[in-house]
Amino acid sequence: MATERTEIERPEIDQALNRRYDAGFVTDIETESFAPGLSEDVVRALSAKKDEPEWMTDWRLKAYRHWLTMTPPEWAKLDIGPIDFQAISYFAAPKARPKSLADVDPKLLETYDKLGVPLHERARLAGVAVDAVFDSVSVGTTFRKELADAGVIFCSMSEAIREHPELVQKYLGTVVPIGDNYFAALNSAVFSDGSFVFIPAGVRCPMELSTYFRINAMNTGQFERTLIVAEERSHVSYLEGCTAPQRDENQLHAAVVELVALDDAQIKYSTVQNWYPGDENGVGGIYNFVTKRGDCRGAHSKISWTQVETGSAITWKYPSCVLRGDDSTGEFYSVALTHHRQQADTGTKMIHIGRNTKSKIIAKGISAGRGQNTYRGQVKVEKTAEGARNYTQCDSLLIGKKCGAHTFPYIEVKNPGAIVEHEATTSKISDDQLFYCRSRGLGEEDAVSMIVDGFCKQVFKELPMEFAVEAKKLLEVSLEGAVG
Amino acid sequence: MSAPLLDALRETFDALPASRLAAGGLGAARRAQFDAALADGLPGARAERWRYTPLRALERRRFGRADALPDIDPASVPAANLPRLVFVNGVYAPALSRVDGLPDGVALYPLSQLLETGDARDAEFLARRFPARDETFARLNAALALDGLVVRVAAGVRVATPLALVMLGAPAGGDVAVHLRHLVELGDGAELTLVEYQAAAAPQAHLVNSLVQAHLRTGARLSHVRVQREDAGASVFARTDAALASEAHYARVDLELGAALSRHELNIALQGRGARAASNGVLLADGKRHVDTRLAIDHAAPDTRCDLVWRGLAADRGRGVFHGGILIRAGADGAAAHLSNKNLLLSPHAEIDTQPVLEIHADEVQASHGATVGQLDERALFYLRSRGVPEGEARALLTAAFCAVVLEAIADADLRASLDAELSARLPQVAA
Repeated sequence: MATERTEIERPEIDQALNRRYDAGFVTDIETESFAPGLSEDVVRALSAKKDEPEWMTDWRLKAYRHWLTMTPPEWAKLDIGPIDFQAISYFAAPKARPKSLADVDPKLLETYDKLGVPLHERARLAGVAVDAVFDSVSVGTTFRKELADAGVIFCSMSEAIREHPELVQKYLGTVVPIGDNYFAALNSAVFSDGSFVFIPAGVRCPMELSTYFRINAMNTGQFERTLIVAEERSHVSYLEGCTAPQRDENQLHAAVVELVALDDAQIKYSTVQNWYPGDENGVGGIYNFVTKRGDCRGAHSKISWTQVETGSAITWKYPSCVLRGDDSTGEFYSVALTHHRQQADTGTKMIHIGRNTKSKIIAKGISAGRGQNTYRGQVKVEKTAEGARNYTQCDSLLIGKKCGAHTFPYIEVKNPGAIVEHEATTSKISDDQLFYCRSRGLGEEDAVSMIVDGFCKQVFKELPMEFAVEAKKLLEVSLEGAVG
Repeated sequence: MSAPLLDALRETFDALPASRLAAGGLGAARRAQFDAALADGLPGARAERWRYTPLRALERRRFGRADALPDIDPASVPAANLPRLVFVNGVYAPALSRVDGLPDGVALYPLSQLLETGDARDAEFLARRFPARDETFARLNAALALDGLVVRVAAGVRVATPLALVMLGAPAGGDVAVHLRHLVELGDGAELTLVEYQAAAAPQAHLVNSLVQAHLRTGARLSHVRVQREDAGASVFARTDAALASEAHYARVDLELGAALSRHELNIALQGRGARAASNGVLLADGKRHVDTRLAIDHAAPDTRCDLVWRGLAADRGRGVFHGGILIRAGADGAAAHLSNKNLLLSPHAEIDTQPVLEIHADEVQASHGATVGQLDERALFYLRSRGVPEGEARALLTAAFCAVVLEAIADADLRASLDAELSARLPQVAA
C-alpha cells in the first residue's frame, strides 16, 4: 500500500510537473483526468466538466483568486514539508482498481478481519470494483424514497447544485466563507463533490444519514464539500467516514463541512476518520486539512460534533460552533489518536455571540510511538453573550517515551456574566492501573486497551451505538504494538 | 519608515558615549543586538506571542533618556528597612541605596560599577544574544542597558535578610525609556530572598525595559517577590530568565498592580534533576490597564517540578492576559507540572484572555492545568450582605479571599504582611 501512496514522488510526476502547460489543455477536457496543475483554466474546466451553472463557476473563480493571495498556515504544531499544489490533478477519474480481493494488500485484509468488517464490504472498502458483488444502487434508492417522503433532501453536492440551486446559493459559503483560510479557499475553488442535506422545518430525519453515505458517497475525492441545513425545529444525525481503513489515491485532502441550524434545530455530526496514516516510518499517509464549522443561527439550536480521529499522517482539523442564536448549544467530543509518526493538531472553536449560549468540549488525545498529538481550542465569549457557559476538559494519554501530547487552549472572555472553565491533564497509563488489571489475569495489551477505552468513554457514548463499538475496536487495532 | 519608538531609541543609542557602550568589551555585541532589533522591528499582531498585546500605540511614541537624578523623598522609596539598590529612571541612585551590613559571601553592586571598574569577565552575561525575531525588548535591553543590579551569593551562604531592587519612575521633563539589566547568581546551596519593586515616585509615562537573569546552582534557593505598581501612564516590559541546576528551588510571587501596559515574561529553565519552580501571582487590570504575563517553564531534566498559581482580575476597561506555558522535554521523566489560573471578570468593558499551554514529550509525567473565567459568587455575596456587610465591603472581602492563595506561598511573615498590604490597598478599588 505504501508504494501506492508515494506516487507523488514518482519521476513521471516530476516530469509532468516540469512540463509547462500549453494551449492543448482545454481540449483535454474530454479526457478522463486533468494533468496536474492549478490555474483559472483548470477551475473553469473542472466546473464545465461538472456542468455547473455560471454562478458556481464564478464562485469557484473568486475563491481561487482569493487563494492565490493567501499563504499556508504555519501556526499548527505540525512538521510538514511544503506541499506542491501544482503537482496535484484536480480532476481525476478513478484509477485502475484491483480486480479482486486477491490483488489487495494482505495487510489491509488482515485489518478488516480484526475489525470484523463483513466480507462483502471488504471488497468495496479496498477499492475493488464492486458493482456486481454488492448492489449499492438499489439499496441507496430504497433509502432515498423514505427520505423523500419525509421531505428530506439528501444528495451529492453536484446534484444539489443542479437540482436545488436556490438552497445551495442561499447557504453555501455562509458558514465557511471562501476566504476563511488557505485550505477552505482551495476547497471552494476545486471541490470535487460531497453531500448536501436539507431538513425542512419540523422534520425529524427518519434515519441516521450514514448507511446511505457509506454505500454511495465513496470516492467523492480529495476536496470534499458538505453542506447540511436544518430548518426550524428539525433534527438530523449525520455520520461521516468509516472505521475501516480506506484505500485512497490522493495524498492531500482538504474538505469543508458547513452546518446551519435554524431556530430549535439540532444537528449531530459524527466522524470516524481512518485514512491511511503512513507506515511505521512515516512514509506515505494522507494529509488531512479540514475546515468544519457549524452555525447555530437560530435560538435554542444545537450543534454537536463527535469525532474519532485515528488515521491520516497529518490531521489539521477544528470542528467549530458559532453560537449566534440565543440559548444555542455547541458540543465537541473528540478522541484523537496518533501512533508511529502521525501528527494531529485538532480541537475546536466555540464562539459565543448569543445570550445564554452554552458549549462543552471533551477532548481526549492518545499518543503512542512517535506520534505528536495537539489539542488546539478556542473559547471566545463576545460582549453580547450574557450568561454564556463553557466547560472544557482535555486529557492526554501518553504511551511510550517518544511521543508528544500538547494542549493549546485560547480563552477570550469579554462578558462579565460568562463562566468559562478549562481543565487539562496529561499522564501516562498509571502503573497502578496496569498492575491491578494484570493481577486480575488480563494480558498487558488487553489491560491497556481496557484503560484506553475507559479514557475515551465520555466521547464514545456520544457516538451512535454501532459506531461506538467499531470505534472501540479501531482504537485497539490502531494501538497494536504500542505497548511493551 | 521605521517606528518613532525605534527612531528615538536609535538617537539615544547613537548619542551614548562610545566608551560606555564598549565597556566590558561589549561594543560589538550591543551594536549587533541593536541592529537586529531595528531590522525586525516591534512584534506585530501576527506574532503569536504578542497576539493579545498590541504595540501599535506604543510604537508611535518617542522616549528620550534620563541622565540626571531628580530629587526623591527617601521616605517614599519602598523597602525602607532592607539593603537595597535604587534606580531612578534607570539611573543608579547611591544616596537612596544601602549596601552596608551584608553578610560575608554576598556581593551587591550596580552594574555600572562593574562596567567601569570591574573584571570584564564578570560582565560576560551581558553579551548574551537573543535570536528570536519577537525578542525586540530583550535585544533593546542588551543594546541599551548600562545599569542594573548585580548580586552574587557564594556557595553555602544563606542570606537571612531580604535584599531589595527598587526601580522608580519620576518626572524627567519628558517621557524616557529606561533599560536595566540585572544579574542574580546563587552558588551551590546558597539562599537569598530578593524583593523587586517597580514603582512610581510621581506620575509619568515612561517606558521601562527590565531584564533579570538568575542563575541558581545546585541546591540553591531563591525567593523572589516582585511588586509592579508603576504609574497608570507607564509602560513596563519586564523579563525574567532563570536557570536552575539540580535540586535548586526558585519560588516567586508577582503582584501586577500598576502601569498602563505591563508585560512580564517569566522564563524558568529547570535544567538539573529535581529542580523546582513555584510561581504565584495576581494580575490586576482595572482602569484602562493592559496586563500581560507570560510564563514559560521548561522541564529539561528528570524529577523537575513546577507549581503555578495565578489569579487575574479585570475591571472597568482593563484587559488581563495570561499565558501559562509548560514544556516537558523528552527525558524529563518524573516531571510534575501544575497550573491553576482563575480569573474574575468584573465589568462589561473588561476582557480576560488566558492560555494555559502544555507541551509534553515525555511519558512519566504528571501535568495538569486549569483555567476559569467567572464572577464573584452571588450566593457568597448574598450571605455576607445578609450578615450586614455592606455590598462594597463584601465584594472587597471576596476579592481578597480570591487572591489570598497567591500569598500563602511566602514563608517570611513580614514579607507576606507587606505584600498583603500592597494588595489590600489596591483590591477595594477594583471590587467597588
